[in-house]
Amino acid sequence: MRRIVAAVLVIYLGLFIFMGLASLPAYGSFEDKYVAEYYLHKGVLNTGSVNLVNAIIWDFRGYDTLGEETVLFAAAMGVFLVVRRKEYGHYRKKRV
Amino acid sequence: MDIIVKSVSRILFPFILLLGVYIAVHGHLGPGGAFPAGAVIATGFALLVIAYTEADVEHELTRHELIDMKSVAGIILVVLILNIGYVSRFDIISTQTLSEFWSGGFTPLLNFAGMFMVITALVMIIYTMMRE
Repeated sequence: MRRIVAAVLVIYLGLFIFMGLASLPAYGSFEDKYVAEYYLHKGVLNTGSVNLVNAIIWDFRGYDTLGEETVLFAAAMGVFLVVRRKEYGHYRKKRV
Repeated sequence: MDIIVKSVSRILFPFILLLGVYIAVHGHLGPGGAFPAGAVIATGFALLVIAYTEADVEHELTRHELIDMKSVAGIILVVLILNIGYVSRFDIISTQTLSEFWSGGFTPLLNFAGMFMVITALVMIIYTMMRE
């Protein structure tokens, strides 16, 4: 029974992925580049920053960058929490 | 470390900081941005940690202070990005002139806050790896 369920799930997932991939433009074709053309033509006007890479990072894809910073925050917090000792060195400042 | 290495790294460190801040706040006008600037400044801290000891550097900039800086920068980022998305993006851009320093909406401030996020994460990792 579990095998049948697993096979159905795998076939369903494979069909799903195949349908998604089939609707992509062909590899290397220059059609359907709406987003790239929009960035190139309207990016400076919409964001006001001359460096287009920075405009895309902080403005068009601001939420993506926010998630990236969240990853940085989680990494630093993990290092701070996991690798700490009770006392490190004799230089430890007193927290008020 | 040697006295020459200590002296040279002590002299070079402010200029490394200056270069990093320049890369960050001019990120919307030329090549650069938050991540290269943070990497440059964290490299300066790595130089200090190698020339002196890790405890000396950590005496000046503790981990608790790093976490405080990171939290403030993160709050600024969240507030500014939500603000850009919904509220006052076009109002601010329409009052600015292109390719001047204060242009691009909040992009200079975003670069500056993102620089602090990268610095604090990398310096935290440098501290931990040098202590082990």
